[in-house]
Amino acid sequence: MKKVFLAVSLCVACCVNSFSQVVVPAVDKSPLDISYYPNNFALLKIQDKVTEPLIARVIYSRPQKNNRTIFGDLIEYGKVWRLGANEATEIEFFQNVKIGGTAVKKGRYTIYGIPNADKWTIIINKELDTWGSFKYDQKKDILRLDVPVTKETTSTESFSMFFEKATTGFTLNAVWDSSRVSLPISL
Amino acid sequence: MQFGTVLEYLCQYHCNLNCMFLKKITWRVLFCCATFPFVLNGCRQQADVKRTPVQVDSLATTDKNPYVTYDQSPMDMSYYPVNYPLLKMNKQDSTGLIARAIYSRPHKKNRTIFSYSPQSLCQYGKEWRLGANEATEIDFFRNVIIGGKTVSKGTYVIYCIPEPDKWTIVLNSNLYTWGLHTDTTKDILRTIVPVQRQSPALEDFTMVFMDAPEGADLLMAWDNVKTVLPINFSK
Repeated sequence: MKKVFLAVSLCVACCVNSFSQVVVPAVDKSPLDISYYPNNFALLKIQDKVTEPLIARVIYSRPQKNNRTIFGDLIEYGKVWRLGANEATEIEFFQNVKIGGTAVKKGRYTIYGIPNADKWTIIINKELDTWGSFKYDQKKDILRLDVPVTKETTSTESFSMFFEKATTGFTLNAVWDSSRVSLPISL
Repeated sequence: MQFGTVLEYLCQYHCNLNCMFLKKITWRVLFCCATFPFVLNGCRQQADVKRTPVQVDSLATTDKNPYVTYDQSPMDMSYYPVNYPLLKMNKQDSTGLIARAIYSRPHKKNRTIFSYSPQSLCQYGKEWRLGANEATEIDFFRNVIIGGKTVSKGTYVIYCIPEPDKWTIVLNSNLYTWGLHTDTTKDILRTIVPVQRQSPALEDFTMVFMDAPEGADLLMAWDNVKTVLPINFSK
């Protein structure tokens, strides 16, 4: 019996060991990307072309349209969306900012969106390093702001987030398929 | 990233069962043994799938993105504990977040990666950003010990100086920079790790954390080379 027990233990130990080996992740189908404000801050920095300090960056994953209907189908209207794929999208402010009249202290946040046909509700939430929006907790919201959807004439294949300078501060833009929203951020 | 497959959950479940066996839940042993070949096979298949590189060129050419170029060397993020956001979501995290690396993943594409030649991608003796595009970033969410020195929690740039048999790994405080414009006056720490050979060659540069008895190991692997940086902390 002991020998059987030993053999079974060895078998299980091998099995456990096989799991402890590293799984090398393939290049992600929805790869991660970073956008800075000021735009291309890291490049500007090494070229000594920085004229204003680093203010914000967003870290998000970039799913592809792949001939699918995105908003209202793949991304359901009225439901909290991670603004990307995989991990929930992260936004970091390197100084205090204001969004929709609400003060946001410098630091890391998770940013979600609730898409609708004509407007999206953008959510800044303090729960960090989370996956998807499956465990989204409204009690941890810092702010919510409705922004209008503008329709574009061309369709964008991969989900894109980027900052643009505005008259007062800057905007964070999210574009996918033929929809675009802009979140105003002021300093 | 990309760990949310059903198969992986099954593997985790199976692994949990095995651990429970060690706690003397004997009837499950029989189940484990009976299903062992299938699950192991499944995991091997999973590993094969994960090793299949995405055709990045085809992605790039089909993407007509006017806003943000789709990157040839896409970024990725590795956590320790491994898959922390997923663990957290499933309430399986016991230690809290300890580290994460944000890096870009260049591809081998039949090129010579490490050599003395100035034409090689990573020339021996020259600093390399451990990736592509922006300098690679590592965050520690608590104090850790690397090469016998305490590293305070915070954000660092991590780069290396590859050589045939060893890499010098450097942590640097000059953040949010691009490529190799490294300011060595802002180096925080240097430590030397040995180079191990691996076969087959790895197409995409990879950084992942692994469990270690006294903390975690950061595995850095590309082509036929891999190194491991031990990161110590109390668990």
